[in-house]
Amino acid sequence: MATARPGWSRRAQYSLFFSFLALIAGVFVGLILLAMSLLAPAKFQSVRGAALDITGPVSSSLHQVTATAGGLFSGAGNYWDAANQNASLKRERDAMRRQILQARAIVLENRELKATLHLREGEHGAIAVGRVVGSSFSSPRRFAILSVGTSSGVRIGMPVRSADGLVGRVIDAGALASRVLLVSDHNNIIPARLLRGGLPVIAQGRGDGTIDVRPLEVGRNPFKRGDIIITSGTGGLYPPLVPIARVVKLDDDGAVALPLADPSRISFAIVEQPYEPAAAAGEEP
Amino acid sequence: MVRAALSSKRRIGQGPKPLAVFIPTISVVAASLLAALPFVTDTGWYPDFGFLALISWRLLRSDPWPGWWAAPMGLANDLFTGMPVGLSVTLWSATMLALDLVDRRTIWRDYWIEWALAAVLIAIEEWLQWRVAAFSGARVPIATMLPPLIVSICVFPLSAWLVSRIDQWRLGR
Repeated sequence: MATARPGWSRRAQYSLFFSFLALIAGVFVGLILLAMSLLAPAKFQSVRGAALDITGPVSSSLHQVTATAGGLFSGAGNYWDAANQNASLKRERDAMRRQILQARAIVLENRELKATLHLREGEHGAIAVGRVVGSSFSSPRRFAILSVGTSSGVRIGMPVRSADGLVGRVIDAGALASRVLLVSDHNNIIPARLLRGGLPVIAQGRGDGTIDVRPLEVGRNPFKRGDIIITSGTGGLYPPLVPIARVVKLDDDGAVALPLADPSRISFAIVEQPYEPAAAAGEEP
Repeated sequence: MVRAALSSKRRIGQGPKPLAVFIPTISVVAASLLAALPFVTDTGWYPDFGFLALISWRLLRSDPWPGWWAAPMGLANDLFTGMPVGLSVTLWSATMLALDLVDRRTIWRDYWIEWALAAVLIAIEEWLQWRVAAFSGARVPIATMLPPLIVSICVFPLSAWLVSRIDQWRLGR
């Protein structure tokens, strides 16, 4: 259908015309699908889950290869300058040991204080542990693919964390893999607190791998470089006291922070129960 | 196409591969499937491989597949890359339509015009992605889309070269 007039053949003219009609129909079908997926995201859950089941296992198995190759390079890098590294690691270890002792004392004190207040803590066990095996490549949205799905008990809306910090929440779940909305996505707004002082703040992704943090109360900019942001547990989806990000840059009324759980480096991610299960029911991807 | 005709070194016993008609489509779906590669990126600066393959094929030949195939290929791309379902269906069909109209107007083409055309199409694609993301709650500043746009435009010649090699292979030239 390249040329404008395919000659005198009626048949060629008709097929050209119908292919145009088919393309216009394709555009309209696409627009309808797009409107449906934007206005009623739950409509396509099963289809998207099935597609995840096709690509997820591929990513998982290939992940082993890249992880091994990456490990070889960083392993070789560690031998470089080993003596200096050894000395600084020893210094760090001694400092850590002192801090751990302090922390143990604080935990003990905390437990006693909670016991006197008769505070009850719910159990929030891990649902499943999976690997982060992929991510959205080209999109203003930040997603990651996790190698566990509904067959391991993962449901849409569950929070995901790693040992380093908060990763995000599940928005699509197939039987074998699930898609996680990362904390750096603009649509992920997390009620949070400043670890130093406990001031309530709001953390929202910026879409480029960083997080925007703003204080809830207008006033002096409370952030300093190096501040740690933790979840507050408000809203009931994310559990409290999970580290989210570290402040790296200040701006006029807030700050830019880097996620502590870098999805490209964490190996395992833990899917948890929503902190207050009632909250997850109202969640929308 | 003129370009394909110029480089004909036909030898005896060589002809189109079996299923040569489907190879362009297969290669586009394979490019969409690159999204399953286990690279975890925090910035999202990778190009949209499926779209690059689509416009590379369409700019190389006017008839790599019947036009309406763009819609199902777009659906596959949406599902594999995790974009909102329907975004690529619309965009890919509209791209085929737009390039048909462009084909009626252009008198001559060369590499630079094709690259410029591809750059415009990629820019429209990134803008549409940005609009749709903004509509679904992720209103990122438009500057966030600049790095992936530049990366995609720079990767296009590579994709066009690869596609032209696949085309020669499938036709047995």
